[in-house]
Amino acid sequence: VTTARRSERLWTWLLLPGTLWMSAFFVSALGLVIALTFGRTDELGNPRFGHTLENVRGIVEWTYLRVIIRSFVYSLSAVVICLLISYPVAYVVARHGGRYKNALIALLVVPFFANYLVRMYGWQTLLSDDGVVMHRLRDLGVSSQFHILDTSGAVIGGLVYGYIVFMILPIYAALERMDGALIEAGRDLYGTPLRTFLTVTLPATRSGAYAGTALVFLPAMGDFISAALLGGPDNLMIGNLIQDKFFAGQNWPLGAALTMALMVLLLVCMFAYVRQTARDSRAAR
Amino acid sequence: MSRAVQPRARSARGRGSGMDRKPKAAVVVTALFFVLLYLPIVAVVVFSFNRKKSLAVFDGWSLQWYDAFFHDSVLTHSLGTSIEVAAVAMVGSVVLGTALAFGLVRARTRLGGAANFIMLIPLVTPEIVTGVASLMLFKGVGLQPGLATLMIAETTFSISYVTVILRSRVAELNPEVEEAAMDLGATRAQAVRLVTLPLLWPAILSSAILIFTIVFDDFVLAFFTTGVSPQPLSVRIYSAIRFGVQPSINAVGTLMLLGSIVLIAISLLLPRLLGRGGSGLDLFKS
Repeated sequence: VTTARRSERLWTWLLLPGTLWMSAFFVSALGLVIALTFGRTDELGNPRFGHTLENVRGIVEWTYLRVIIRSFVYSLSAVVICLLISYPVAYVVARHGGRYKNALIALLVVPFFANYLVRMYGWQTLLSDDGVVMHRLRDLGVSSQFHILDTSGAVIGGLVYGYIVFMILPIYAALERMDGALIEAGRDLYGTPLRTFLTVTLPATRSGAYAGTALVFLPAMGDFISAALLGGPDNLMIGNLIQDKFFAGQNWPLGAALTMALMVLLLVCMFAYVRQTARDSRAAR
Repeated sequence: MSRAVQPRARSARGRGSGMDRKPKAAVVVTALFFVLLYLPIVAVVVFSFNRKKSLAVFDGWSLQWYDAFFHDSVLTHSLGTSIEVAAVAMVGSVVLGTALAFGLVRARTRLGGAANFIMLIPLVTPEIVTGVASLMLFKGVGLQPGLATLMIAETTFSISYVTVILRSRVAELNPEVEEAAMDLGATRAQAVRLVTLPLLWPAILSSAILIFTIVFDDFVLAFFTTGVSPQPLSVRIYSAIRFGVQPSINAVGTLMLLGSIVLIAISLLLPRLLGRGGSGLDLFKS
């Protein structure tokens, strides 16, 4: 009994360093963001704590609100496009990958560990007006009025490119778990591949699609690199505003309020997501 | 009667082509996807060898941009900073994260629930929020942004990854092996050190390399917590990109890609090379 109690104490002690470290450097830091949301800047531009709602009122002004809405729309579009691309890719790898399955998954994962900035820079150079792609398009007779860089499409494309692996992997895992005979049976019952997909494959892999949606939406909402490198001045996202308030703009309380707005928005989405998946798994039972 | 026969006839037909019949449209989408996935990477690599400064015309092979990089003391210094920060964050987060993983799996106290909650928050927090929060904390306690703040922030950010990866491995361990060691006279701490940790080494090494790569490549958190000098490579690259075309960035980018790919390949293959616990790809499946 004493040995058991002593080892129980050891396991509890092992919890402490990590938890204390995270409390000191992460939880308290988040607390500061919440606190400074209600703060102000003094005459010298330094942030001061306070209890004003000025910053909260500030972010619902149209200048900021439209950027928040735009971020939401861009991220949602990125999720939808990711879903549309991920299903065929995951399906082909899972059901027709054969012995190359693991190699294909590795091929898929490796680029996402390459520097995000460098990959986005690669797109920037490819798509810029004096880049390879535009040169080729101009040679084909595309009008010089047409641009790819600095459009909303480029930003959404950047988000898709940046985070699609987080959609493909859970859908792939769900497809792997799924009994292949179901698809055979579906083909027998419903005939066309599309109906089989909609009535059999899609519902059976829903959990993967839900997980992927959360995993893409979350980082996409906080992204500022895609908009900074591919979007130009008219397609800023909430991340760009936050970055600006903490550096060039030097209005930390407003930046804190914007950060809080992002967090609250994501928490609401996460809450809805958790409820939906819970309801779903209950329905499945 | 004929209605009852029909589906069976179709099923027979279906089985003939069955599993092997590839959905053509999906194959095309997949092929296109892989091409686009590697297109910007290939572009960076190819243009890093370009003789001209142009990014539209390839004008023959040259190593001048690599030469430019290695003679740029600011950039090489940044490379050193990135390696230093990644190494410290790797060691720090692996030590703290492994201990936490053991605690979370085995402690039966109420603290476990709270620790688990705190451990999960960084994983659902967008990186920019972590960056902003860290910046404010360091300013609040009067720490000048620099090497120390970078290391603390990157370590904090990495602990959760290590814990999540190792937790499932710790849970898979058979506690009877440890108990056997203790029956033979080892203390619990000795049993963990001599019996359990050796079983976990492949997973620990694998997550260490993963963390090194993630931190080395990290830009967002580094951007918010770094000072003016020394700056990590990714932050230097960002400012260089914003100034316009910089072919030496292609060279740095290529070297970084090469480094990441080699490290990730090692990390994925390590458990298999050491012959324990399946392929490192399992990390991404769960």
